[in-house]
Amino acid sequence: MGWKAILRSSIGTSHQQREMLCQDYGNYEIFDQVLVAAIADGAGSAKYADIGAKLAADTAILHLRKLYLRWFKRQKHQKHRFPENLHLDISEHNLEEILGAKVRKIFQKTLKKIIISLEKYAVEAGYSLNDLASTLLVFVATEQWIAAMQIGDGFIVIGVPEKSPEKNYQILFQPDKGEFVNETTFVTSENALNQMQVCFFSGSQSFICAATDGLERVAIITRANWIPYPPFFQPLEKYIQETNNPEEEDTYILAFLNSERLNAKTDDDKTLFLCFFDRPSEAKSTESSFLDCLKLAKQKFL
Amino acid sequence: MPVGQPEFPEFADNPEPRCPVVLLLDASGSMSGEPINELNQGINAFWQSVKQDALATLRVEVAVVKFGPVRLVQDFGTIVQTKPPKLEAESDTPLGAAIEYALDLLETRKESYKASSIQYYRPWIFLVTDGAPTDDWQNAATRVRQAETDRKHLFFAVGVEGADMDTLKQIAPSQRPPLMLKGLDFKSMFEWLSASMKRVSASRVGTEEQISLPPVGWGEIQT
Repeated sequence: MGWKAILRSSIGTSHQQREMLCQDYGNYEIFDQVLVAAIADGAGSAKYADIGAKLAADTAILHLRKLYLRWFKRQKHQKHRFPENLHLDISEHNLEEILGAKVRKIFQKTLKKIIISLEKYAVEAGYSLNDLASTLLVFVATEQWIAAMQIGDGFIVIGVPEKSPEKNYQILFQPDKGEFVNETTFVTSENALNQMQVCFFSGSQSFICAATDGLERVAIITRANWIPYPPFFQPLEKYIQETNNPEEEDTYILAFLNSERLNAKTDDDKTLFLCFFDRPSEAKSTESSFLDCLKLAKQKFL
Repeated sequence: MPVGQPEFPEFADNPEPRCPVVLLLDASGSMSGEPINELNQGINAFWQSVKQDALATLRVEVAVVKFGPVRLVQDFGTIVQTKPPKLEAESDTPLGAAIEYALDLLETRKESYKASSIQYYRPWIFLVTDGAPTDDWQNAATRVRQAETDRKHLFFAVGVEGADMDTLKQIAPSQRPPLMLKGLDFKSMFEWLSASMKRVSASRVGTEEQISLPPVGWGEIQT
């Protein structure tokens, strides 16, 4: 029971031809029933994009791990502190708003930590901050909710079991593109803090898929307001659901990421992250109540 | 694939993003003879060069506008949907009207991209002239510079020997002054353009920066 996950990056054919490094990077950690993942896509125009991407993603995870451990410690000592802090008359609607704001604050702080790390690295190495430019996707998920942020493009898609089969995948954010398809925002952009998209989504999702923009055009129907294309996600969900140790059984994912069929569609670096929450069969139904989810979420975040 | 493994993911069928470029070419009387021949060969070289890149072949959309008179000799299309036109030198140099025509053509193209939900790169306008405008060009210059400031397009101006470089300087955006073509080396110029389009169509940049383009060996900035 709990989360299982796999993350793989594959260098794009255009980068291979020009003997460049893979500029995508991703990492994740699972503590208890909480999963934290971060994926960064180094900007092609940035000299040390590969270093920037790694530093951004790792700093995000490090910071969120610290927050979690601090929360965990506090929970132990002050078991009942949290509920008394909340007004009891707040409606479900503004509860989600309050949580959204809280989540925003946490990710804002995370971003600030990341920028400080990048700046520090840039100064020490004699680089400019823009040499370390990358996009960033970060999320924290339990079996009952997901809190996520995105700067730039790429996508996070979750499986939504209770919806109809045609619409059982949901994208959390529209990839951030300007008027022009190749323009996006990076962590190092001046407006990164304002452009950061944040969401809190409560629901009993089991399946989460995140990827860099190298996979956007094959996974998402761009002309229809960025709707996930189910035949892309269904086999991936099936694979992660049926694989006990995905990190060790990665043949399928590697074969897919390096397939000629995929490389004909994209010459960019590609990172694919899949995770699945295994529930015990006798466990409560997937329809856990909205308020249950929120209670859990409050405890994790407030 | 081993037995029991799920099928590979199927792919969403999205239209390729487009990378529009307008070639705005002076085919006035003064271009007759060797210049127009070299220009035509350069145009051919552009088509051939873009075709060598799989991604650029799908994404680069080129339109050719000649002046004067101002005429659309090749409407927007990908390299395989279009043919390099053969220009003939004739008439005067209505540069102002030609530029405004190109700007309107681009706007219309963008609207049709939007209507079909086709994503696109920042358009390029590539002007080549060997003369001095024979019409009122002030309004065209204002529009070029405003659109450049608004990051609506990238405007490049190239003067061929005999061009009124002072006027071109007032038309071209101040951050990208006009270039003087070395001799009649249109071929190198178009090969550079093709190489630049290949970079653009495979690039991703922040909203505040620009793609670094290949070095310009075929022209120089006149001070």
